[in-house]
Amino acid sequence: MPGIYLFSEDVALAKQLLTPALDLKKSLNQPVTVLTVSEPDAKELSTLGADKVVILQSPNKWVDGFAEAIYKLFNDAKASILLVGGTLRGKGIASYVAAKLDAGMVTDATVLKVVDGGLLATRVLYAGLALCEEQVALPAVLTIHARTFLAPSASAVPSAIETITVEADTRVTVGTVTATGDTGVDITAAQKLVAVGRAFRKKEDLKLAEDLAAALKAELACTRGVAEDEHWLPIARYVGISGQTVKPDLYLAVGLSGQVQHMVGCRGSKVIVAINTDEHAPIFESADYGIVGDLYEVLPLLTAALRK
Amino acid sequence: MPKCLVCYKWTLDEQDIKIKPEDLSLDVSRAKGKISDFDRNAIEEAILLVEKDGGAVDALTYGTTSVKQSLKDALSRGPGKVYWIADASAENADGNVTAKVLAAAIRKIGPYDLILCGEGSSDQFNQQTASRLAALLELPCVSFVSKLSVAGDTVSATRKLEESQEDVTVKGPVVISVLSDINKPRIPSLKQVLGASKKPNEEIKIADLNLKPEKLLPKAVCKSVKGFVMQRKNIIYKESAAADNVAKLKASLTTEGLC
Repeated sequence: MPGIYLFSEDVALAKQLLTPALDLKKSLNQPVTVLTVSEPDAKELSTLGADKVVILQSPNKWVDGFAEAIYKLFNDAKASILLVGGTLRGKGIASYVAAKLDAGMVTDATVLKVVDGGLLATRVLYAGLALCEEQVALPAVLTIHARTFLAPSASAVPSAIETITVEADTRVTVGTVTATGDTGVDITAAQKLVAVGRAFRKKEDLKLAEDLAAALKAELACTRGVAEDEHWLPIARYVGISGQTVKPDLYLAVGLSGQVQHMVGCRGSKVIVAINTDEHAPIFESADYGIVGDLYEVLPLLTAALRK
Repeated sequence: MPKCLVCYKWTLDEQDIKIKPEDLSLDVSRAKGKISDFDRNAIEEAILLVEKDGGAVDALTYGTTSVKQSLKDALSRGPGKVYWIADASAENADGNVTAKVLAAAIRKIGPYDLILCGEGSSDQFNQQTASRLAALLELPCVSFVSKLSVAGDTVSATRKLEESQEDVTVKGPVVISVLSDINKPRIPSLKQVLGASKKPNEEIKIADLNLKPEKLLPKAVCKSVKGFVMQRKNIIYKESAAADNVAKLKASLTTEGLC
């Protein structure tokens, strides 16, 4: 039986995947099956319009090891499309299944439509410099990044829930798992962000940005360099191609040049403001408003003006 | 003493790609080639491992004829030998084709204890190769690694995921993908650059990999590429007095309802 399958170990993302899955169901007239690894998640997911929810049960602590089970279920059903939540883990699982199926895969698809002989998906190239339309033959595997789609609203008919026991993948042993990042701070939920770059000379100077953020009721975000090279701010605050993608009402970029790898993470912002000493920095091309000036002079003035 | 293989991609340097305003097509005429950024981290990590524990590092690349330009660069970064596959199929290869070609080459030149890749290429950033290779070679895959060590046949790695850090151990052989923060790739010294031309490189002909011609056809085909252009107001305040600029910006933010 053909079908549309979806999987994400992140339940919020799994819900979002149901939106494109239910859309594809309309075009292809194939049932939607949700695969999950947890019983509570299955209950949440069963109210959103899927035909079936399948719980994969295994003593396996290594979530990535579910890839073989997902492949087998998909292949036995001769299903046509697998949507996977585009977490790092999800991308690994998706690539594994695609390789076993000898199938094409689109990473971080943003738009999907059914065309003759497959799916047409849009995604970014060169770290966001360009958009590419890619046509992929069925069966196809696609990953979708968090918050690309909104979760669908509740459906009147609850999905059937089934539990399947799968073999554990014992090749990899998981030791310590540590939660990372700023627990409690989710910059993707903030309406305003003040983003800092390498023009700050030392960590203590970020106080200037913190004060500005407080005056604007904004959260702090940063570039890859500030998080990964300087370790001044946690990774969870880093915006860019391999960091967070944000769409706030205001993105105020201070002392960052605006390289494409950073901008791809914030270009959905409603208003972008830039403060930079270099008039020719690419950030000004991406900005609605900007000040050419030294952040050490501009920030205290701006903070004071906003406090009034 | 691990025998390592690093897979790398020769890509265009995206900093030199311009978007043509008339039709949003990409002008790559000024773009030079480079070893994909994250693959440099993979090479560096393999070299760091063998500097510590002994062993050997080979490199492998698949691309169009332009990959020949990459060989010296790759060798100057430390590997003892580079294998290269130059074939027209690479022009339109998707993740599926790339992994099949690399896996077939590894079956021919391997086995290796550690096969390392970057987390994704600087151009496509499909992030598929490591996991696909592992599936095809029936090896375990540990992806998105920010710390790596080897003791005997046990590989220990720290994976850095969105919301957690995961310490894992696995008995080799294994496929690894590395994150950019695992190390800072060294800039090759003059001696290394000069030494690179004395190191061996070996071409692998795609015809010798026993892949049927249809295996080289991509399942995901690029239909169109368009430069991404943002529509922004570009109102820039650049008076000499910072206070004037600040007052104007505050007025703009007020108009936008942002303060």
